[in-house]
Amino acid sequence: MESLDPRVNRMKIGGFDGELHKEAMDQLGTYEVFLIPKDGKPLESVGPVHASDAEMAFVFAKEAFSRRFECVAMAVCPTASIFPSPVSEADISAYDLVTIPAETEGENRQYEVFHMNKRGKFHKHVGSVEAIGDIDALYKGKDEYGVDKPKNVWVVPTGDFHFNAEEDSDLWATLPEKKYRDAIFYKAGEKIQRYKESVNS
Amino acid sequence: MYGGGNVFEPMKVKELIDEDPVLLKEFEARIDRGEKIEPTDWMPELYRKQLIRMIEQHAHSEIIGALPEGTWITRAPGFKRKMALMAKVQDEVGHAQLLYSAAETLGKPREKMIDDLINGKSKYSNIFNYPAFTWADSCFISWLVDAGAIVNQLANAKGSYGPYVRALDRICKEESFHLKYGHDCVATLAAGSKQQREWMQDAINRWWAPMMMFFGPSDKISVHSEVLIKWKVKMASNDAMREQYLDMYVPKILELGFTIPDPNLRRNEEEGKWEITEPDWDEFKRVINGDGPCNKERLAVRRVAEERGRWVREAINRKSENYIVPLA
Repeated sequence: MESLDPRVNRMKIGGFDGELHKEAMDQLGTYEVFLIPKDGKPLESVGPVHASDAEMAFVFAKEAFSRRFECVAMAVCPTASIFPSPVSEADISAYDLVTIPAETEGENRQYEVFHMNKRGKFHKHVGSVEAIGDIDALYKGKDEYGVDKPKNVWVVPTGDFHFNAEEDSDLWATLPEKKYRDAIFYKAGEKIQRYKESVNS
Repeated sequence: MYGGGNVFEPMKVKELIDEDPVLLKEFEARIDRGEKIEPTDWMPELYRKQLIRMIEQHAHSEIIGALPEGTWITRAPGFKRKMALMAKVQDEVGHAQLLYSAAETLGKPREKMIDDLINGKSKYSNIFNYPAFTWADSCFISWLVDAGAIVNQLANAKGSYGPYVRALDRICKEESFHLKYGHDCVATLAAGSKQQREWMQDAINRWWAPMMMFFGPSDKISVHSEVLIKWKVKMASNDAMREQYLDMYVPKILELGFTIPDPNLRRNEEEGKWEITEPDWDEFKRVINGDGPCNKERLAVRRVAEERGRWVREAINRKSENYIVPLA
């Protein structure tokens, strides 16, 4: 049948013959996204985006994760920059599952430490440590924050994050202008009332 | 948005008895304790394959589901409705992005999932193979198809796989806007002119039968393995979800003075469940296998997007340079 979508007809998009295959890796790299929902809350992981570079990852992340909900700051890092601990459960700390020895050589640099406190939850920022390598950073994290007994730990070199400058936090100030995106904007009850009154009159 | 009409047909995977019994026992004990499974955990091959299939079908449904509504953006009545529908369609496509990432953590590359979609190898929610004739059809989708998807997604959000649960956590929060928006659209038509009421009633008449198929075949004829329920891959039976939907939405439709085109629809108070005309499961199978009114058009639109977007990907893609599977 002719399409009900006038654009499909104008563009003559019909059926198709044959196969159309995507090549392996016909997709973009992965970045993990973190945001601060409100002042005073920790930076928390919200999910991944696929992008060509960190700048674009930030743009996509802003669209994907903060177009509706509150946000005051956002950071992205390449997935490859994250060094994860093993995953534990119950009252076992993920730090206790790290058994490989720490690096013995390397330049000291700053790492950000994230904890997943329960399986299935998002990782939250707990603080930073100075370390000479990824594994060393896990041990330093344990010394500093191990008392929380997280179920998974991520350590990320601070320099690998791409984040907004503090004065750019007004990037998210447009949310109140988009009330049509909010559930509370819609008051079906008034219309239902109007319908019922019209039936009764 | 997504239906429970996903297909759990038998798959060619390693038999469960061939899995390491110690690891399998630990895996099941973990789920029994209410703990989530994370991507680096050991998992049976059947669990991995079924989850990939389910999350992938969910992602495709978000993409394809945006098409019948997307066609109405330019013709939505008024500026606010256009803005709201655009926001909704953007949400659905955003949901697909989250879901593809969750499926990727199980080992299927994203481009392979899209390849399977555009070559007709993957399924998606069957209801999107039906056409949206008028603005009222778009309102039906926004309210009553999304409502069905929410019943399904809230159930799945209690499932056992961490990345899927995290994605659904976000998705369910956004769906509340869709539901309110859709209800408002339908209520507006209900409180409108005689013509507007007729449009809405016609849309309900067109979509009711596909909507009853949305949750998938009845438990009597559907072969979903008990092990998927035990592993918290499938969280509620198709019939249970259909019942919940009817409980919640039949009164709301009737409240607006519309009728439901099923003479056998009634609530059997003694048995505490709904009686409906048995959906045409042959039609369901025919449509899900590619022979519905809009299957070809839906895939053709996706293929055009794929082909026309190729130069953009080629221009910016540095291939595997910075690709690794998402962590969580």
